[in-house]
Amino acid sequence: MPKLTIDGREVEVAQGTNLIEAARLAGIAIPYFCYHPYLSVVGQCRICLVEIEGQPRLAIACATPAADGMVVRSQTSSRVREAREAVMEFLLANHPLDCPVCDQAGECLLQDHSMDEQGGQFSTHMVETRRTFPGLERRLLGPHVVQNQNRCIHCSRCIRFTQEISETSQLTYVSRGNHAYIDTFDGRPFDDPFSACAADVCPVGALTLREFRFRKRAWKLRSTPSICPGCSIGCNLWIDHHERIVYRFTPRENPKINATWLCDYGRFLAESLNAHGPAPTFRDEDGSSSSPPLEETVRALALELKAARTLRVVASANLSNEELFLAREIFAGYLHGELVTPVWPGEPRRMKNGHGVWLASSDAHPNANGARRLGLDIVDESGLARFLYGAADLTVLLDPLAHPYLAGEEALQLLRVGHTLVFSQRQHAVCEFARWTMGVASLACNEGTFTSGADQVQRFQAAFAPPRGALPLWQWFTLLARELGLARLAVATPRDVFQLMVSQERSFAGLAWEELGGFDTDSYREHQHVG
Amino acid sequence: MEPTLLKARGLEGSRTLASYLSRGGYEGLRRALALGPQEVTKSVIDSELRGRGGAGFPTGRKWTFVPKDHPGPRYLVCNADESEPGTFKDREIIEHDPHLVIEGIAIASFAIGAHTAYIYIRGEFVRWANLLEQALGEARREKILGADVLGSGYSLDIWVHRGAGAYICGEETSLLESLEGKRGFPRLKPPFPAVVGAFGKPTVVNNVETLACLPSILTRGPAWFASIGRPRNTGPKLFSVSGHVVRPGVYELPLGVTFREIIFEHCGGIRAGRKLKAFFPGGSSAPVLTAAEVDTKADFDACAEAGTMLGSGGVIVLDETVDMVEAAANLAHFYAHESCGQCTPCREGSDWLVDILHRILAGHGRAEDPDTILRICRFASQGMTICPLGDAFSLPISSIVSKFRDEFERRIAAATPAPPRKHPVLPWAGPRPGFGR
Ligand SMILES: Cc1cc2nc3c(=O)[nH]c(=O)nc-3n(C[C@H](O)[C@H](O)[C@H](O)COP(=O)(O)O)c2cc1C
Ligand code: SF4
Ligand code: FES
Repeated sequence: MPKLTIDGREVEVAQGTNLIEAARLAGIAIPYFCYHPYLSVVGQCRICLVEIEGQPRLAIACATPAADGMVVRSQTSSRVREAREAVMEFLLANHPLDCPVCDQAGECLLQDHSMDEQGGQFSTHMVETRRTFPGLERRLLGPHVVQNQNRCIHCSRCIRFTQEISETSQLTYVSRGNHAYIDTFDGRPFDDPFSACAADVCPVGALTLREFRFRKRAWKLRSTPSICPGCSIGCNLWIDHHERIVYRFTPRENPKINATWLCDYGRFLAESLNAHGPAPTFRDEDGSSSSPPLEETVRALALELKAARTLRVVASANLSNEELFLAREIFAGYLHGELVTPVWPGEPRRMKNGHGVWLASSDAHPNANGARRLGLDIVDESGLARFLYGAADLTVLLDPLAHPYLAGEEALQLLRVGHTLVFSQRQHAVCEFARWTMGVASLACNEGTFTSGADQVQRFQAAFAPPRGALPLWQWFTLLARELGLARLAVATPRDVFQLMVSQERSFAGLAWEELGGFDTDSYREHQHVG
Repeated sequence: MEPTLLKARGLEGSRTLASYLSRGGYEGLRRALALGPQEVTKSVIDSELRGRGGAGFPTGRKWTFVPKDHPGPRYLVCNADESEPGTFKDREIIEHDPHLVIEGIAIASFAIGAHTAYIYIRGEFVRWANLLEQALGEARREKILGADVLGSGYSLDIWVHRGAGAYICGEETSLLESLEGKRGFPRLKPPFPAVVGAFGKPTVVNNVETLACLPSILTRGPAWFASIGRPRNTGPKLFSVSGHVVRPGVYELPLGVTFREIIFEHCGGIRAGRKLKAFFPGGSSAPVLTAAEVDTKADFDACAEAGTMLGSGGVIVLDETVDMVEAAANLAHFYAHESCGQCTPCREGSDWLVDILHRILAGHGRAEDPDTILRICRFASQGMTICPLGDAFSLPISSIVSKFRDEFERRIAAATPAPPRKHPVLPWAGPRPGFGR
């Protein structure tokens, strides 16, 4: 393990670590544009120059592996500062400097490094007319990505992303030198299934996302760690939100699962987190409906559940481990109901992890493995249909989005037989006739854990409190438990549910809530907006 | 000096295999095959041959960097991209004696253990690509190339690969990218091509003229070669002289002649009785020398001492009528056009230089322009870039500004302020083409 000194600080790093990462470990930030921890090293931007004792020329930190006894100077070298200042000046020579109207402002590496390397002057001695790319200033490259070529600093990260990670090679340089620009071959649409990552890796505002641009200034956003609800892979992400509105998902680094990537499908589920279930609604035999207050609702629910002679419950692989655990304990354990968890394969999805390995989804749910761990009865579409054919006088749907079958004619007809209670995050056909509809808050307001396709238990946090009338499902369950006299389950937080589950379930034994975040590994994004 | 590289120039039918054989052709290869790779490499090291492509790296030494125990293929690439302004010597060899190049390639390939060699030739050289193809055809037919080279059991095939017209593809790593069918972007070094080259395999890249020196080193011996020129700067060298001389052309002279001899004796001096002002000793990438420096010796070390380089040996001669600001602008234009665009300093700096120099030429120079030029050049060279193209424009242009600063200042002093810009500087201030109208 080479031991080296950077700006006077000693640090020992793994063999093969480059100087940027070594400096990071030593707590020193070496600026970079073209370097990205999960892309190949090209050494194009030249901002990462450092001085290495015994070498006459400055070296680029991104392409220099740490060596034993190396003495590196970054901020402490006047030669380095001078050279970086010159590189900044070159980069800004043709940059439009339109930060006030640029959506990247606030999370732009060019801004950040100009602050650091030029003392915030954003200046260049260039007095000539700037090079522009007429026609490439606001161009939709594909369904999601908008290009402004004038801002491009030619770092080639987006090109390398499509070559090395998504493997579509859709983006390329056209032309040469200072007039080179980013384009797709033959002007075809940039419809890479990971296309939005190209905008993520773009360090400046040259590539931005149609869905997000101009909706919120980056510095207003708060980020809450969460897990993608899109499929069983369980990519780590940040929910970026402001004033209780979710604006976007951004990748949260996890080398084992999604490195710093998200697929477009999962990323653009962000909007759906702004839908929180309808207020509790009771619908009488005669079709009239009312919205009783919460305590009354819970009391009535408990009565209804206790009164049922035959109870069947459709759980969902979209629920957290804690919610599934409570559901099992309450509905199957205490109320002796029959409980199944439908799993829908959905569209095949894939994700490349930080070691270059493709992971494939097994189903369209974030927590099918959690249901398996808890020993729940997993059913497919025909299993679900058979389950609903069986007679019962009370059916509880914990999530009408558990399977698309539930929105079909057949399921709706079957559910009309007997009473139906539905916990729902959104308006759904079932809610039209269900006896009770309980509003459930979206993932943005929920806290808990999912078990990923690779059987990792991962925690997600709540971004903000749910709006009136909607509760996270676990909270509905603990309220119900209290009402039913199940003091053991009437706990206060998802963490308490988790502790209970860990103490009771062999398959969760030994896990500690605090260690499941994946938040302990410092995310690159927090240092230099990489992901 | 009796010519070695241009021996065939002027002979009837010199390009044919028959003519080449009648002049002792392929004798060097025969010797090489008998000596074995180690001995061949040793001879080349002893001859002190240095690369003629520009950098002057000792050829034999370069060969020894190829890993001995590397499994799988290795390659030799003959660099016939010849795009440096003022350089037209490789073309001359191929024009008159394509078999000399082929024999050189075969010797070098044998020495490094390559069974496949490529000739990377610039796209515009259609005629010379065809000449090489013809010669290769002859050599294959006569079993000089193929599965059993001259009956020795050694196998070698040579392929001609035409470039698509980019100066940067003469740089060896960019050449390899292009050869692999990719965009001609220079690679980061290390690893060097001798270790990781074409298709990821060890590869030696040598210039046409370098390879053309090999047959005579083998037939006449390294000592003979080393006796030409002076120590560490040995052998014959082609000088392609262009510009304001009476007899421009390609001259084969021993290394170490002075530029005075080249310009005034061999080329007949400056045309129309004018005076010499300056000259680029080794292609346009070499810092300029003034008339006062004309006694500099034309070899690698002497040029380095004079703060310039022998480069490709393309001597560009400028007489007293030349405006050095225009010369600088001309150079900047070429390099800005040819910059591959990867490195920030080269991409932005070269274009910026063009703008400044054109503004000065248009009569709107500013007092700070010379210093801005020098600053750009300083930070686009000396390791600030991936490949030496940054140096290739920075060094000559900064040398012009330093040595002829008075010409810049005179123009700037007579300047008028620039007229208002025609184009909006800020893209959103003008019409928005394309989108959102
Ligand atoms: C920008 C640039 C352009 C070059 N162009 C050529 C060229 O056209 N022909 C050539 O032989 N070498 C050229 N070179 C030098 C090659 O990179 C390489 O050093 C040479 O082919 C090695 O051959 P040698 O060792 O026989 O000199 C160029 C180098 C640079 C940096
Ligand atoms: S120095 Fe210029 S030509 Fe060479 S790699 Fe960099 S940008 Fe390309
Ligand atoms: S980060 Fe090292 S050159 Fe760009």
